[in-house]
Amino acid sequence: MYEAVHAHPDGDSTVARLAKTAADYGFDGVVVRNDSSTRAEFDADEISAAYDVDVVEGVEINADSVEQASGAVGNYRTDETIVTVSGGSPTMNRFAVENEKVDVLAHPMTDSGDVNHVLAKAAAENGVRFEFDLSGVLRTHGGRRVRIIQSLRKLEDIIGYYDAPYVVSATPRSHLELRAPRELAALGEQIGFSKPFIEEGLAEWGHLADRNRRIQSESFIEPGVKRGRYEEEH
Amino acid sequence: MKHLPKHLRPRWRYLAVELECWPDSSIDRRAFQRECWYAGQNLLGDPGGARADLSVLQFDFDSTAGVGEALVKVRHGWSDEARAAIACIDAIDGEPVGVRVSGISGTIRAAEEKYLGRRGQDSEERHVVFGNEERVAVVRDGSVDVRLDAAFAGTTDLDYDDSDYDYDLA
Repeated sequence: MYEAVHAHPDGDSTVARLAKTAADYGFDGVVVRNDSSTRAEFDADEISAAYDVDVVEGVEINADSVEQASGAVGNYRTDETIVTVSGGSPTMNRFAVENEKVDVLAHPMTDSGDVNHVLAKAAAENGVRFEFDLSGVLRTHGGRRVRIIQSLRKLEDIIGYYDAPYVVSATPRSHLELRAPRELAALGEQIGFSKPFIEEGLAEWGHLADRNRRIQSESFIEPGVKRGRYEEEH
Repeated sequence: MKHLPKHLRPRWRYLAVELECWPDSSIDRRAFQRECWYAGQNLLGDPGGARADLSVLQFDFDSTAGVGEALVKVRHGWSDEARAAIACIDAIDGEPVGVRVSGISGTIRAAEEKYLGRRGQDSEERHVVFGNEERVAVVRDGSVDVRLDAAFAGTTDLDYDDSDYDYDLA
């Protein structure tokens, strides 16, 4: 299971510290998805080797307009393993689900964002994952939390019907905000998601990383075509 | 009052909880107990909170290092609910806190032996160079909490070259 984190300078803890804590908590990996304006500098292989946890390079695109977001997706797609788009407005949500270069639509239900059957169908077609962001359930109280739980329930109803892909994250910005997978599964159960639902959502980050690494590796040429072992010169 | 016969006594599960804060946060048992009950009440409601119990039996916190551990009593069959409620504790007395249930046992002694007292809490202060500035940091078991002007940054020894890290506080 993987957790998608915001590391220093986007958050309060460095990639190394988040990876160390995540490994302690039983995660298999972390996806670093810093905002495109506050990238982190880190050596993924070194951290990965030191703490025995996979470190995936990613980015979260936070744009004001569709044009800007579209340009950023094109820029980052070739270098980053996972490209997420920060949702939360009708236009950005729609842009993300209609763009097959986007891996994840992050927090689609925040602010004025909403999801309907049209978006769910488009996301299923383009393989864009909706994110279930549990940070609001973990770190807010009272009426705000009630509304956040309602919006997550609504999202689950819609994407469940269209079988759209999804990921789950607690969106930690420091190592103190990380929560172990078992805790997240238990919390999910309390707000109406099953344990396997949460666990699959956490594991989906890992599947995404595997798939994108395969596609971006040199042996991959196009879908169905890859360089085999008989390629060597005689 | 006379003891209840054994078959009428409630059965309990004991949750070992690991706590982590920024250095110099002071958290006491009463504050943690209050947050546990609030978290239970907020997530499970009054009836759920009452049934889960969530009493803090033991509490130990080292405020210089910012780590601690606690033992929380939960009614048998309510450990998942309690786990979820404890996960929702994000701050104690306004100090951000990381919590994790490190294990569950049926007796206090088993929980103590298996899950408590495992963390090295030896911490020391050092000078490090973080973000091109010299800072004071609290080092514990490879984790390095750097004191910035108004906040902290969580780092590890991997974030420093030898020249940035290895000199003691003079």
